[in-house]
Amino acid sequence: MARATDWTIATPRHRRCVRYCRTVFWNLPSELMAEPVGIVLVSHSDSLATGLRDMLLQIGAANLPVATAGGTDDGRLGTSYHRIGAAIASVDKGSGVAVLTDLGSAVLTARAVLDDLARTDVILVDSPFVEGAVAAAVIAATGADLATVRSAAEEARDVHKL
Amino acid sequence: MSTSFEASAETEVVLPAHLHARPAGALVQAAAQFSSTMEISYGDKRVNARSVLAVMTLGALAGSTVVLRARGADADEAVKAAAEVLASAE
Repeated sequence: MARATDWTIATPRHRRCVRYCRTVFWNLPSELMAEPVGIVLVSHSDSLATGLRDMLLQIGAANLPVATAGGTDDGRLGTSYHRIGAAIASVDKGSGVAVLTDLGSAVLTARAVLDDLARTDVILVDSPFVEGAVAAAVIAATGADLATVRSAAEEARDVHKL
Repeated sequence: MSTSFEASAETEVVLPAHLHARPAGALVQAAAQFSSTMEISYGDKRVNARSVLAVMTLGALAGSTVVLRARGADADEAVKAAAEVLASAE
């Protein structure tokens, strides 16, 4: 009996099909196979960070790795070295992590964490907090790499609302 | 060098809903599945369909028409997929 896996008796149609499937799988862009870039939102306010996270999951993709580091360890307004470190670790899936901050000491604390980590694939992004995060999340959801996520977020500096 | 061998495609879509954040996000994700570049235009504004912030700045309203233009090997499939996403936006 003829079986499709037997090369000696496979029909030309079977062979074309196998060849096509191999071409498709070998030519898949590597980013389609990879985990998405992680996103960390650093804010003085826990509710600001978690509210923004909710927006990203709705506009970007529900399963996107987005973590928040909002407020101090005891729940006041401020930023926490430990919260930022834990947030980065929780979304670090191997494709890099983009860290976005609101302002002031959030930038300084995040920079201290990143300096200690000393990794080239965990980066601080220089963008407006909300717009940059939305741009980063949408492009990260497409499987884009860290450099593309960073440039999408940083483009937000030049996009006017009106 | 001439680039006349490069495929391009264009289609119009009447928006069932305002082109706000969520549909804009969906459009970017549809456009990013293809190798072709894509632009979306509304009135005299024309932006990159892979930039969610730029798409939102179009301010395209429900009932109005936008034009999708793709350029590249899979331009046809790209505009079809993007048009489908926009046409089913809520």
